[in-house]
Amino acid sequence: MIVDDFDPHALAEQDFLDEVHSFQFWFDSVEGYLSDRPYGRLETTVDEQLDDARRERLITTLCNYSVGETAALEGAAGLVQLAPDRNSKIFMATQVADEARHLEVFLHRLRELGVADPEREIERRAQPALVDFKGALLDLIGEGDWQAGVFAQNVILETMEYTVFRLHAATADPVTKDVLAGVISDERRHAGFGENDLGRSLAVDPSGRIRLREIRNQLDAMVVGVFEGALADVGAPADSSSELAGEYLDTIERLGLT
Amino acid sequence: MTDTDVSAPEVGADPSRQRYELEETGFKEVPKKWRKFYRHWGGPLDTLAPNEVICPVCKVVIRATRELRPGDKVYCMPCMSRMVVVVGENGRLEAEVIF
Repeated sequence: MIVDDFDPHALAEQDFLDEVHSFQFWFDSVEGYLSDRPYGRLETTVDEQLDDARRERLITTLCNYSVGETAALEGAAGLVQLAPDRNSKIFMATQVADEARHLEVFLHRLRELGVADPEREIERRAQPALVDFKGALLDLIGEGDWQAGVFAQNVILETMEYTVFRLHAATADPVTKDVLAGVISDERRHAGFGENDLGRSLAVDPSGRIRLREIRNQLDAMVVGVFEGALADVGAPADSSSELAGEYLDTIERLGLT
Repeated sequence: MTDTDVSAPEVGADPSRQRYELEETGFKEVPKKWRKFYRHWGGPLDTLAPNEVICPVCKVVIRATRELRPGDKVYCMPCMSRMVVVVGENGRLEAEVIF
């Protein structure tokens, strides 16, 4: 009989959580898909010549991705202090590293596209609604509210980014596709952490749902339109918006927040 | 769904179940020792084997060394979710997240 020493499905729940929240798990995971990819791109990938209109749209999209990643970087850093246990603090520290890398690769891609001063360009092209969302997210974290911060960042923002990046990657030029692939792999962890952390705490204390529904009502409008606009800018198929809404609403439904 | 709703065992060593020898398929988002237990989903035309279910959270295919049955608990390491196997509306096996 074949005996498998490493069957993840045989782990006890706490052993599973200890494993997936660890820095070692993070390190051994990102090693698998980020090695040999300076700034997120394979050295063998050849850049495609973009026409002016497509390049302009991509720059606007990447500028807004940079706003989202800056929000997530600052948010994750703030959440380290609020995390209720050490495993969550360690996981959130890995997310800080991920978000910093995402911001860096998007800034690098902007420079490759000829943007000499990404800071200025981001300021010029940032969607006001996304800037407002960033402010609201950091306010929640500044108030010391772990559950609300995780909901705003790891559920609302990360779930939308995860879906938009995947849809964008399907139509992106080869280098941007490479860059997005690494980011998508990271976002899978972030969105999953958020849903599962909230799911566990709401199972213990369902009363938190009332407040999270209120937060959702305040924040949804700030980000849904922005990401729908981003999908249109990158030439995603017409039915992409419904996929974006569908995946987000599936998460909300699993958490009992409809 | 919460853990108290689920009393079924983990995927056990039931000898009546078909065994599967897993090999890596190119999924690299978890540490090497766990990689063969997951694969990328190929979309709606991707046919799942009896030892596979799709993670509803992150859409990765979760694989087991034995044929899966309703009530089995499985983990999606890429998105850190714990789930139970259920029979979906279409009669196929699906995974439902347990909090």
